[in-house]
Amino acid sequence: MNDMLAVRVEGLTRTYTTDGQPVTALAGVDAAFARGTFTAVMGPSGSGKSTLLQTAAGLDRPSSGRVWVGDTELSKLSETKLTELRRDRIGFVFQSFNLIGALTVEENILLPSKLSGEKPDWHWLGSVIERVGLTNRLTHRPAQLSGGQQQRVAIARALAVRPDVVFADEPTGALDTETAAEVLALLRSMVDEFGQTVVMVTHDPVAASYADRVLVLADGRIVRDLPQVGAEKIAEVLATRWKA
Amino acid sequence: MIKLAMRLLRQRPGTSIATLVALAGGVMILMSLAVFVQSGLQFKPEPKQFAAADVVVAHRHITVSTKEFDGETTTSEVPLPEGTVPAGLADQIRALPGVTDVQAVGVQGGRASAIAIKAPAGTHAAIDKLATEAGVESYAGDERGWAEWSTSIEARSLLVEAGSAFGGYVVLLIVFVVAGTVGLSVRHRRRDLALLRAVAATPSQVRRLVVAEAAVVGLASAVIGVPAGLWATHWTHDQMVARGFLPADFPIVNPALGAVVAIALTMGVAVLAARIAARRVARIRPAEALGEIAVEPPKGGRIRLAFGLLTLAGAGVSVFFAAGLSGTAALAAAIGMLYLFVMAIALLAPWVNGFAARVLAPVLRTVWGVSGDLAVANLRANAKGMSAVLSALVLSVGFGGSVWFLQDNLQRQTVAQSRDGMLADRVVTAPRGLTAASVAKVRQIPGVEAATGVRRTSVVVRIFDGAEPAVARAADPAQLASTMDLKVREGSLAGLTDGTIAVSALQASSSSWKVGDTADMWLADGTPVKPRVVAIYDRGLGFGDVLLPQSGGTYDELLVRTRGNADQPLAAFGTVTTAGQLTGQLSRDLAVSAWLNKLLITVMVGYAALAAGNTMVMAALARSRELALLRLAGVTRRQVRRMVNAEQVGLLGTALTVGAAIAAATLIAVVHALTGTFLPYIPPLGWVIVLGGTTALALVTTILPVSRLLRTPPVRAAGTKE
Ligand SMILES: Nc1ncnc2c1ncn2[C@@H]1O[C@H](COP(=O)(O)OP(=O)(O)OP(=O)(O)O)[C@@H](O)[C@H]1O
Ligand SMILES: [Mg+2]
Repeated sequence: MNDMLAVRVEGLTRTYTTDGQPVTALAGVDAAFARGTFTAVMGPSGSGKSTLLQTAAGLDRPSSGRVWVGDTELSKLSETKLTELRRDRIGFVFQSFNLIGALTVEENILLPSKLSGEKPDWHWLGSVIERVGLTNRLTHRPAQLSGGQQQRVAIARALAVRPDVVFADEPTGALDTETAAEVLALLRSMVDEFGQTVVMVTHDPVAASYADRVLVLADGRIVRDLPQVGAEKIAEVLATRWKA
Repeated sequence: MIKLAMRLLRQRPGTSIATLVALAGGVMILMSLAVFVQSGLQFKPEPKQFAAADVVVAHRHITVSTKEFDGETTTSEVPLPEGTVPAGLADQIRALPGVTDVQAVGVQGGRASAIAIKAPAGTHAAIDKLATEAGVESYAGDERGWAEWSTSIEARSLLVEAGSAFGGYVVLLIVFVVAGTVGLSVRHRRRDLALLRAVAATPSQVRRLVVAEAAVVGLASAVIGVPAGLWATHWTHDQMVARGFLPADFPIVNPALGAVVAIALTMGVAVLAARIAARRVARIRPAEALGEIAVEPPKGGRIRLAFGLLTLAGAGVSVFFAAGLSGTAALAAAIGMLYLFVMAIALLAPWVNGFAARVLAPVLRTVWGVSGDLAVANLRANAKGMSAVLSALVLSVGFGGSVWFLQDNLQRQTVAQSRDGMLADRVVTAPRGLTAASVAKVRQIPGVEAATGVRRTSVVVRIFDGAEPAVARAADPAQLASTMDLKVREGSLAGLTDGTIAVSALQASSSSWKVGDTADMWLADGTPVKPRVVAIYDRGLGFGDVLLPQSGGTYDELLVRTRGNADQPLAAFGTVTTAGQLTGQLSRDLAVSAWLNKLLITVMVGYAALAAGNTMVMAALARSRELALLRLAGVTRRQVRRMVNAEQVGLLGTALTVGAAIAAATLIAVVHALTGTFLPYIPPLGWVIVLGGTTALALVTTILPVSRLLRTPPVRAAGTKE
């Protein structure tokens, strides 16, 4: 296996059945995400972006195809092993509802290591918390934080275990432009300063311009794989109608 | 894990408190029940009268063996309050070597009420053999107390009987409620648990977390439930003593074992329910945590529908079964039938709710406009989520509406029958009874048209699956037709002579006797007899189920039909009361004996209503996000409130209708079986309580919590918390 790759997917398909009708969310996706890179996944609504992220992250199982995280192939793992892999090697940030309301900021960040029973790396944690700017918010409850602060807590939690890859599904979807910029800059710096790998779904060309690479999905297939370009160029590409 | 469980519990105090209340209530009820049943089972009467004897021979119960359909023989023991032994047995025992002293007690016409014996232990087996051969029993050592009939022994039978008739249903109800509440509390946290799964928790960790939560709440409920159970036991004990059900000195066991059993059962059910719910939650795809709405699992499958329809069919069949039984058995069968109906409704609830939403849609739309429209959509979407509410409400309405009113119907019918059937206008009683000679003298008094001596007794009759005691009257047949009208429907009382009996229609159907049949039964003293049935009458509730002829001996009371001017000469024979006073006394006595049944029903209905309320509060509090989103979408606070009202009308209307239908079916079946009328009596206050209670429930459990939710600004509520 290639040590340079954090995640690789091959021939990935995912079909949902609703009311007896099959819906194809992914129709065969091959992609690889190199370590230390920041990838944006874009595409029209319903094109399969979230499904791609979920199957690549082991949150959902593909109908066919394979997923490697590092050199571990996910399809052979039991649900428990898969959970352990997620908790040790994958971080997530969702659009909202990332945090458990009953727990404080600190407890939310420490939740994965608590559940795995492993000692957290305090030195690493300290630098993450400092970088996301939550040092004096650790004892607060999620309800006492702004949306942007909550997303920053979610990012800190995702990074707490020093994962192979962080998946983020529209992490700025619920934020205003200014707060969104803050969160995006944070993700960018995680890649630059700590060598983390980030895969992020977004609808916003400006957000995508923080990435090193933009994948465009349409009807469950990758239709474009762009290197880092400006927001205008991305918007232009998105404006074309994609035929499946 | 425990710490995390506690933190998560605190996050949703409403749900946790609701579960806590349901569990604590369960512990309280189960504990008191267990203490009383255990007291009954462990009761050992102290020998008093026979304390000096070594062995007592007496006849205190009949053992009846019945062949079952499958060829197996079952034996049941029926207590015999007035059992006697052959007096001649005393001589046989006296002849045994080693026996030092034998005394026959209460000898009367060749029978003795008991034989007290002084003899060394070595002879006991021989005495027992003689007793068994004579069809009676011998009691030695600790057992001697059983040979003396006492109010304590009667109280013991009551505790054990009431315990076995209702205990199972109470346990079933508590299992039903606890499992439902715990399951629901887990389901309400689907999103949190899905997030935990997505972030880092393995399925087994989620399972352990949920079980740990149930265990924490279970322990907390024991802390509240046990003192409450102690209080309830004391209160019930005092009430039973005050009403004469229990002698004040009846030993009540240490409540420790009862408490342990109650806690173990409640905790066990809670943890098991949590495990089952957790298994389902642990299986959700962690990806669900990303969804906007915690997705409800799809409507129950075909298997649930099939089981529901099957149970419903079973319930329908059981109506006929319950109608064939009498007395306590009928009451217990009626509750069994009720459970079948409620279970069927619980299984079919998603479909019932969905169907009701469709039927009620036009009404709700017309009355509440846009809000009604939203309400219909919610009722349809939450058809499954509201299943628990529907079943709990149907249970309480069905229960309260049938079993409680059944008691009222029984009391009313008994009083009505004894009033309508009483042709005599005076009743004479004397402390030591009235002899046949006195009856003859009374008949000579000018102004007396007829007089009938009546002795109140009981018999043991065979019924299809064993034997049961029946209320009986032994009466002088001579002038019977002039003092009481039993409303004979078949045969004639004119043929009532030695070796014959008349029976009530209810008894005739329970024992499948017809006029001319030979009845298989035992008299109160244990003598087996096989009289011929000469008449079947309707007024069994008022005059007992079996009427025996008795000309001679002593009577308990004398029914006298006068021209209204014989009170003075009658007073020479005993206390004279009017028949009206007798009926008044009867209805007071009945109210007292109905009290225990009513207490049990109140406890069960109360608990079922509590469960319904609990579920509704939980459901209402879980809606904060949904309601906030509605308001953000432009629905005004008033419209939200109207929507909730419309939903309540839909849900409670359905529950009331279904519950009332079940109650009516039960009530009509049983009242018809017991009294022959198809129209049950429902006291006006009953309607008020059922309707008012349901409305109050809706108000307290949904409308008030929702009003509170509506006071928080919608933006806040739409935020992090679900
Ligand atoms: N749980 C599900 N059950 C059934 N169909 C689903 C489910 N989740 C997604 N789909 C379907 O799969 C397809 C892809 O969905 P997906 O959520 O991956 O799209 P997306 O690109 O993330 O869209 P958006 O930008 O709106 O978030 C859609 O057609 C969707 O309806
Ligand atoms: Mg998506």
